[in-house]
Amino acid sequence: MKKWGKRIILLAVLGALGYWGWTVLFPSPEKVIRKQLGELARTASFSSNEGLMAKGWNAALLAGFFTTDVQVTIDVPGSQHTITGRDELIQAALGARQLVNSLKIDFPDIKVTVAPGKESAVVNLTARGKVAGQKEFYLQELRLRLIKFKRDWLINEIVTVRTLS
Amino acid sequence: MGTNADAAQEPPLLTRVLIGRNPKRTLVRIIILVAVCFVIRGFVLLPVKIEGPSMLPTYPDHGIHIINRLAYVFHEPQRGDVVAIGLQAGDHVMYLKRIVGLPGETVAFHQGQLYINGQPVEEPYVRLRDNWEHEAESVGLDEYYEVGDNRDMAWDDHIHGRGKRDHIVGKLLL
Repeated sequence: MKKWGKRIILLAVLGALGYWGWTVLFPSPEKVIRKQLGELARTASFSSNEGLMAKGWNAALLAGFFTTDVQVTIDVPGSQHTITGRDELIQAALGARQLVNSLKIDFPDIKVTVAPGKESAVVNLTARGKVAGQKEFYLQELRLRLIKFKRDWLINEIVTVRTLS
Repeated sequence: MGTNADAAQEPPLLTRVLIGRNPKRTLVRIIILVAVCFVIRGFVLLPVKIEGPSMLPTYPDHGIHIINRLAYVFHEPQRGDVVAIGLQAGDHVMYLKRIVGLPGETVAFHQGQLYINGQPVEEPYVRLRDNWEHEAESVGLDEYYEVGDNRDMAWDDHIHGRGKRDHIVGKLLL
């Protein structure tokens, strides 16, 4: 009886390890998207001691998260405009780096909905931005549409959304 | 009257203070306490920290408050209630606003004064007021009009408006 107990425990441990290994080797699309969005937040953030070269390099790195025909539609009180294409997005990112010394971005809430074919996904997220020297942070709700490209998920569309309208 | 034998069985003071006379009973108490805390934190009371000036002066920046998640189990939100509003992606970050417009009503602002269905409404909690101007807006049947107490902010800088009932997480308790 004791021997069987040990075997069952060993089997359970092996099963748990196998499951963990499987999820590490073959992560779910949701996990991959969440990880990529975390990297996006880190890449979009910048500090005041970032040099000119680093600014350009990081803005270029940012482009890797988007499709070439990405469309960003910003519709917030007092500002409505659209950014079309990756190049325009890089210019906007560089422009933001000129406007403020430093910016720390994070996504405290991410809700991922993967389409049945697992080739596209819609993400609702809350983006929080903090500019150094300012007491308050900026909050913006966004809806992203992502498309699977090889092993990565690229952002194809960003739209601002509002819980209170 | 205790005997010498009783005194010998008594655990040391430190042990008694830390784990009690009966460790098994202490363990059960800890498990129950943790479970109760978990349930209360997860389903009943939610601590929140205010970031931002939109509820000034009633609720200052950086204040810590408690939201009652069960406040609207038996009745619907009322005008004047201060509520936590979850965002579309989740509720790690929420808005704290006051309900001023109920389902089916119209809400307008004229020279900073709130009008509901065309009638001015007294708002004793508003002490900072700018000359907000906003035409009458209808509130949907499953919506509430929510706004902060700080009306001194510019209209565009103050997040407010119609929000769905199911985004209301709970009512501010403390």
